[in-house]
Amino acid sequence: MPSPTGDQISKSLFAERSEWSDVTPLQQYESLVNPLAPIFYTEEYKDATDYFRGIVKSGEKSQRVLELTEAIIRQNPAHYSAWQYRYETLLALDAPLDVELKLMDELAVKYLKTYQVWHHRRLLLAHTRKPAPELEFIARSLGVDAKNYHTWSYRQWLLAYFNDEDDLWRGELDFVDAMLTQDVRNNSAWHHRFFVVWGCGVREGEEDRGRILKRELTYVKQNISLAPNNPSAWNYLRGVLDHNQVLYSIVFPFVRLYTVPFNSERTDIVDLENPPPDKDANLPCPAAIEFLADVYEQDKNKESTLQAVELWMSLANEHDTIRKKYWEHRIREALEATKV
Amino acid sequence: MADQTPLPALARLGHASHCKRCLDGLPDSQTDIDASRLALAFYCIGSLDLLGILKDATPKLDRDRESWREWIWEQQTRGRCGSGFRPSPFMTAHHPPEEQIECTDYDSPHIIMTYTAFLSLSILRDDFSRLDRSGIITFLRACQREDGSFSTVPGSAESDLRTLYCAFAISCMLDDWSAIDVDRAVSFIATCRSYEGGYGQSPYCEAQGGTTYIAIASLFLIPSELRTSDPLTPEERQLTIQWLLRNQDESGGFRGRTGKEADACYCFWCGAALKILGASDLVDANSLATFLARCQFKYGGIAKAPGEHPDPYHTYLSLAALSMYPPSVANNSTWRFEPLDPLLNAREETSQWAKKYIPARQS
Repeated sequence: MPSPTGDQISKSLFAERSEWSDVTPLQQYESLVNPLAPIFYTEEYKDATDYFRGIVKSGEKSQRVLELTEAIIRQNPAHYSAWQYRYETLLALDAPLDVELKLMDELAVKYLKTYQVWHHRRLLLAHTRKPAPELEFIARSLGVDAKNYHTWSYRQWLLAYFNDEDDLWRGELDFVDAMLTQDVRNNSAWHHRFFVVWGCGVREGEEDRGRILKRELTYVKQNISLAPNNPSAWNYLRGVLDHNQVLYSIVFPFVRLYTVPFNSERTDIVDLENPPPDKDANLPCPAAIEFLADVYEQDKNKESTLQAVELWMSLANEHDTIRKKYWEHRIREALEATKV
Repeated sequence: MADQTPLPALARLGHASHCKRCLDGLPDSQTDIDASRLALAFYCIGSLDLLGILKDATPKLDRDRESWREWIWEQQTRGRCGSGFRPSPFMTAHHPPEEQIECTDYDSPHIIMTYTAFLSLSILRDDFSRLDRSGIITFLRACQREDGSFSTVPGSAESDLRTLYCAFAISCMLDDWSAIDVDRAVSFIATCRSYEGGYGQSPYCEAQGGTTYIAIASLFLIPSELRTSDPLTPEERQLTIQWLLRNQDESGGFRGRTGKEADACYCFWCGAALKILGASDLVDANSLATFLARCQFKYGGIAKAPGEHPDPYHTYLSLAALSMYPPSVANNSTWRFEPLDPLLNAREETSQWAKKYIPARQS
C-alpha cells in the first residue's frame, strides 16, 4: 500500500469519490445552544469526519478505512478515536504492521509532540515484538529534536517492555555517550543514563555494583570538569550517590575544586579521581557550592554547619540570588538544628 | 534581579478578550483541539473566573453563563462503561436533541474532560442536579488499570500520571473515593519518581514540572483516612522542593525540566507543587511576575515565552500562578488576584462550590 503524502490526500473529497458512494456520511451533532469554542473546520476535515462517523456506525473495518483514518490523522493527529479505530482495523485485516510502522516513521517526526502518534506505535510494537529497529528510528527522531519528551519516553518504554532482551540493551551506554558528546547539557540523556545503569535491573557484565559505581562517578566527574556549570551532571552525581546511599563526602576533594575561583598556580598533576575544572570554566560554580554545603551539613556537627552556612550565604548574596529566600531558609533550618 | 524595576500593568482586559474570542470560535488551524475542546473551554472560562469577570450580574453575562452550562451538560454522555464528559460532539452523529442515545466506544466519556467539566460548571455556579454520579463512579472504575494508572477513555491503553490526577480530583469533588484503588494508584505514582526529585509522566521517564505537580497534588488529595503513610518522606519532600526551586531560572520564569528554557505554564506547575509542599514563601515572586509580564502578547493573552503567540492554556496557568504568587513590587492593582486552591487548580471560592454541590446530597 503506497502511502499518499499530505498533498495527495486532499485531492478530492470522499463525497465526490465513487468508491465511497455506498457509505452514508453522518454529520456532526449540532447543538441547540451556542457551542463553546467551535472550530471552523475546513471542508476536507468535515467531509472526512462525516464519512468516519458513517464507517464507525456500520462497523466496517476494511482497507479503505485505513485511507480514511490516515486522512483524518493528517489533519488532526490528536483525533484519538480515529487512531483507535485505525488500530482495530489493522488487527481485523491482519494488515502488515511493518508497513504501518513505516508510515508512522513519517508521522512521528511530523507530529513529534502528539501523544497519540507514540501511543499507536507502542500498540504496534506490542504486536510485532521487533524492538531492535526501533532504536535506530528513535535515534533518527532525536536528531530532529534531541530533547523531545515523547521520543525519550518511548525509548524508555521500549527497553523496559523488552527488558529481557539483552541484545537490545547492549548499545545503550554508547548511545547515551554519543548523545552527551553532542550536547553534554542534554538532561534527557543524563536521565536516560540513570535509567540504563540504575533504573531497570542489572545487565549482564554489570553485576559488580561497586565497580559500576566507580565507573559512573568517574564518568560524571570527567563531564563536570569539561563543563562545570551543567546542572544535569550535578543532579546525576547526586542521584548516583543517593541511589547507592553513599555519603556526599566521598567526592569532597573533587567538588571543592569547583567552589573557588580558578587557580592559575595550580600544579598540573593528573589526578584521575579528581579532574580539575577546565581553565576557561566560569568559577566558582554555584552547583558545586551547594553540593559542598550539603557535604558539610551531612557531618551534623556545629563547626561543619557554620561552614555550610557560610557557603549558603555566598549563594544567597552573590552566586544564586534568585533563590535567596531558599538559601536563607536553609541557613535558618541548619542553625536551628544545631541548637537542639 | 528584577526587584527594583516597576512592573508594567497586567493587561487584564486584553487577556479576558483573548479568552472570549477563543470561546466564540477557533480557526481551522486549531483543528487539533477538536478532541479536547472542553479542556480548552475550561482554560478560557477559568481565566475569566480568575480575572473576576464572571462575577458581574449583567443580563448578557447571565445569558452567556446559561448557554455555556447547557453546552457543557450536552457533553455528559452515557455508555456501557458509565458516564462522564466527552471533549465535544466530534464523534457524535447528528440526532434529534430530545433523543437520548447511548454513546459508542469511540465517543465515550474522557477522564480529563470530565475533570475540566466539573471545574467549568463550578465556575459557572451550576447546581449539578443533572450529574449522573453513580455513572461517574462506574466510569472511573472502568478507567483504572492493573498497574494502578488510569486510561483516558475506558479500554484504551493510553494512560499516564495526568489521568490519575483527574481520577483523584474527580473523587475529591464527589467526596466519594469508592471507585478507586488508592493503594495501587499510589504505587504507580511512586514508579514515576525520578532521582532528580521530580516525577516523570510514566514509569522510568524524566522528571518534568507538569507531571511533578500532578503527582504531588494527587498524593495530597487523598483523604487522610485512606492514607497508609505520609504523602512523602521528609527526605523526598526536601529533594522535590530543591528540584522545583532550581527550575526557576534567571529570567524569573520556571522551566519544566533541568536545562530547558523557562515557560509560563511551568510557573504554575512548579509554583503550585511548591505551594502544596508548603514552600511557597521560598519562591522569588517578583521575578516570576517580571517574567510573566514579558510573556504578555500585545493584543491580549499570555504566551509560553516572550515573543511567542498566546493561547488560553498559557494564559490561564499564568494567571493561576499569579494568584498564588502575588508580586510585592506591583505598583498597580492589575496584579491582584483572589487566592487559588492549588490542589484542584481553581479559585478557592470555586473549589468550595465544587466540594459543596458535586457530592451526592445526604437525604
